[in-house]
Amino acid sequence: MLAAALCLCACQPSGEENDKDKTLTGEKVPVDVDLHGVNKVFLLNEGQMGSNNATLDFLRLADGNYITGAFKKMNPDEGGGLGDVGNDIAIKGNEAWIVVNNSGIVEVISARDETHIAAIPVPTPRNIAFDDKYAYVSSWAGAYVTGSYDESFNYVITDSKNPKGQVYRIDLKTKKVDGSVEVGYQPEGLAYYEGKLYVANSGGVSCQLPPDYAYDNTVSVIDCASFKVEHTIAVAPNLKSVFASTDGRIYVTTMGNYYDVHSGLYVIEGTKAGKVADYVSVASICADVVFCIGAENEFDWNSPGEYFAWSCKAGKQTFHNFNFQGIVKPYGLLVPDSADFTADVFIADAGDYFNPGTLHYYRGVEHKWSVTTGVCPAHFAIW
Amino acid sequence: MISIALTALLLIQQPDTLAGVTVTADRVLPVLKPVEEVFLPAIKAPPVQVADVLRRFTGIQVKDYGGAGGLKTVNVRSLGSEHVGIFMDGIQIDNAQNMQVDLGRFSTDAIGSVSLYNGNKARQLQTAKEYAAGAAVYLESFRPVADGGVARLRGGSFETVQSSLQLDKVFGRVAVRAAAEYLYSGGRYKFPYYDTTLVRENGDIRSLRLDGQVFGTVRGGEWRMRLYSYGSERGYPGPVIRRAAGFPFSAERQADQDAFVQGSWRQDWTSAYSTAMRFKLADNYTHYNTHAEKNPMTLPYDIHYRQRSAYVSLAQSLVLSGPWSVDLATDLQYNTLDSDVGQFVSPCRTTFNGALATRYALERLRLGAHLAWLGAWDTYGSRAGGFTRENSFRSAWMPSLSVSWLPTSALELSAFAKRTYRLPTFNDLYYAIMGNSALIPESATQYCLSLRASPLSSRPRPSGPRGEISTEFLASAYYNRVANKIVAIPTASQFRWTMLNIGIADIIGLDLKASGSYQADDFAASAALRYTFQQALDHSDPESRTYGNQIPYIPLHSGSIDFSLAWRSWNFIWNTLLTGHRWSRTANIPDYYLPPWSTTDVSLAYTKKLLTLSLGVNNLFNHRYQIIQGYPMPGTNAFLTVTLHF
Repeated sequence: MLAAALCLCACQPSGEENDKDKTLTGEKVPVDVDLHGVNKVFLLNEGQMGSNNATLDFLRLADGNYITGAFKKMNPDEGGGLGDVGNDIAIKGNEAWIVVNNSGIVEVISARDETHIAAIPVPTPRNIAFDDKYAYVSSWAGAYVTGSYDESFNYVITDSKNPKGQVYRIDLKTKKVDGSVEVGYQPEGLAYYEGKLYVANSGGVSCQLPPDYAYDNTVSVIDCASFKVEHTIAVAPNLKSVFASTDGRIYVTTMGNYYDVHSGLYVIEGTKAGKVADYVSVASICADVVFCIGAENEFDWNSPGEYFAWSCKAGKQTFHNFNFQGIVKPYGLLVPDSADFTADVFIADAGDYFNPGTLHYYRGVEHKWSVTTGVCPAHFAIW
Repeated sequence: MISIALTALLLIQQPDTLAGVTVTADRVLPVLKPVEEVFLPAIKAPPVQVADVLRRFTGIQVKDYGGAGGLKTVNVRSLGSEHVGIFMDGIQIDNAQNMQVDLGRFSTDAIGSVSLYNGNKARQLQTAKEYAAGAAVYLESFRPVADGGVARLRGGSFETVQSSLQLDKVFGRVAVRAAAEYLYSGGRYKFPYYDTTLVRENGDIRSLRLDGQVFGTVRGGEWRMRLYSYGSERGYPGPVIRRAAGFPFSAERQADQDAFVQGSWRQDWTSAYSTAMRFKLADNYTHYNTHAEKNPMTLPYDIHYRQRSAYVSLAQSLVLSGPWSVDLATDLQYNTLDSDVGQFVSPCRTTFNGALATRYALERLRLGAHLAWLGAWDTYGSRAGGFTRENSFRSAWMPSLSVSWLPTSALELSAFAKRTYRLPTFNDLYYAIMGNSALIPESATQYCLSLRASPLSSRPRPSGPRGEISTEFLASAYYNRVANKIVAIPTASQFRWTMLNIGIADIIGLDLKASGSYQADDFAASAALRYTFQQALDHSDPESRTYGNQIPYIPLHSGSIDFSLAWRSWNFIWNTLLTGHRWSRTANIPDYYLPPWSTTDVSLAYTKKLLTLSLGVNNLFNHRYQIIQGYPMPGTNAFLTVTLHF
């Protein structure tokens, strides 16, 4: 769910003095968040599919204002707002790249003031990662149809037979799509590490389609220089998020098949995948620690969330806790600057998934404040 | 047009319309009257869809996704559409898959009258399912009394063409009615989208209804059979959302083939004992295709569903003494659902409904009570196997009490209390990875107090002196509680949802209606004013921020203003519908505010001998509105109708 880029690209120099969004105010929270050099914590609210209510919130660390619906406020001309289902957000330089799944749009805005820079059409985009030249966007589109871009970069359908997903490459400068490569079924998260792109394939649609009714279980490894799939690595059914640690190990979360295979966290070393932990539904990486929220049994709707940290360096679990107080449905997680859950912890709580959710802030496991977000708060980025 | 007062006066003009309703009349007086009742043949230019008749009734909200092909469901007094039973000729139209009865599929051409009962109808020889409905809408057809027919051609906005033909033939004790109806609507209309104007696409529909009915009488009884078939093919335009240039909003199509055969036989055996036997066999086939090859933004679904049901009912009625009767109704139904969707479990359900009812009805004081029992046994299996057969039995007791007191013939005070349950649907229980087979039935408890006064006319009479005036006032106050409401919520694994019995809604409501009519030699006028207040609060979770807020899509205030004028060959009808602001979510915040809306429909009809020509203009003032967020409704539209009675 969180792009690996989140922490890798997080620490940017402070914004300039005349940011246009300075006049925006919101609910005030007591900020004693100690994040060196960070101006804003962005929170992308997915909204509900079909309701066109993806929204972007941010916490301005300078004065503790929590601003909801910032995109609409800063871009009143974009009548429809961000769009339908905000699926991912990542920062590149002073830009925030937002993947709006059911709108078919990768929205690029200024991280300084949330003003619109570009809306790039990509069919059913899911997640985003970067290298120095390109943004890479995983797309389920191959499962339905393939197409190409015309001179004005509108999507034109050419064929409808290809059942697999794609990774689209977007030039960071021109903000235009520059090719795509076929990966596995319904690719989700992607992570970049030293010239390679690791793509987690879910099979979230192919599991419901004949003839196999099966989830995908592979990571596609793309060589960025040639933009071709080099090889695939089998992991476990229904992959979701993928992260790279600084030493080149690749961590993958799996959702399981909701029947006899549970969710989990796996690590890939070379071409082999090994299980690290059971029960993971939300995960994030920072400073070589993978932070996870799971549940002892995700088949049981009412079981409490479990929070644990896996240190990549130590190769072991460094923190485990059965619950943070006051959380209904943890849906997003940000642990920006810590070796485990003992410092700043942001947990996005989706509540009933229908009405606006809540952002909780903890210092260690101690609850400090909560603030109302948009519907289905899910994806964090820091700038 | 839709008030009782008007229909009463129109009955004066067409006394034959109802001649064939029932041969065997109720032997004991009814306790409660219908809240609303409309006789469609009496209207010169009736609305096309049953949904358009229902939306004017007090206490009713029609959910409408727009266009001729858009889903239309009816919610009575905020109970939820699953609690509203839709009965065609006394037999329920049901849908075990999702309990959604799309009223957009029922044309007024197929129906004689539409009526709404909030409490129990409490007539003789009802089916047990009627007792089990939270509220009931009755679509009745009437026995033809003479050879003849009606041909109708309608055309107008959205490239709509509709034609219907109905032929009646009477052979002594047996009467036959055959009807066919075709509809095509292109479904394109403009709607505003922020500072631009877009066109609704992929909202076209074509449908064909073939409908045959046989009515017969025997000594002391009557019987009828109906063979009904409805086929349609339509597009679903989908919600309006931000979408990248080049990607369509929707390419979804759905094809339906619905057919049923049903019949009833009602017999008086002695002066005290009567029975009614009813049956229905139904087959509903649906093909849903998202056409992913035309829309890269959709999931590639190409799914077929087939629902079948078989239903039998025996109702018995015994008059114990003059005003006192006892009824026993027993219904048995079998439902199946099949689909080729992945991981589908094919559920079968055997449902037994039983009801023991009694009525004690004097001219001035009437009491009714019943106790119904519902039991449902499910079995289900899957392609992959591995599902349990746990939780396969559900049952519920449903009591009801009603009383009415008529201190004078022009005044009636009535009250009812009742509790009904709706079963979890097949989708709630077994839908792919989302269903929860542990669900229990959802309950609706209703308490209602009503006052009905007709100061100038005691009751509608088939004939009266010239210059007759009639008026009626109706006020109902009610409190409803829907508990164990089935709602979808996510599991601990955020990517899997499930259904749970966790919702509670408390509804306090007030329905007011005033209507009047005047009938003279060659002039008639009628008017009706309706107002509904509904405070429908979410009381599911006291810890929740939205606890105590108004539930989605229920306006606090709504109402309608109707009047009609008839002069010689001319008929004019004016209908204004008013709906106050609503919220699309339980979070009652500006982001989810839906502004008030109002539409006005007018029609003018001219009749010359057997021919009626009418022009209807809907949404006269071109009000732009949405009933469901993301589904814009059409602006001004007009239809011309030619009707030939022969």
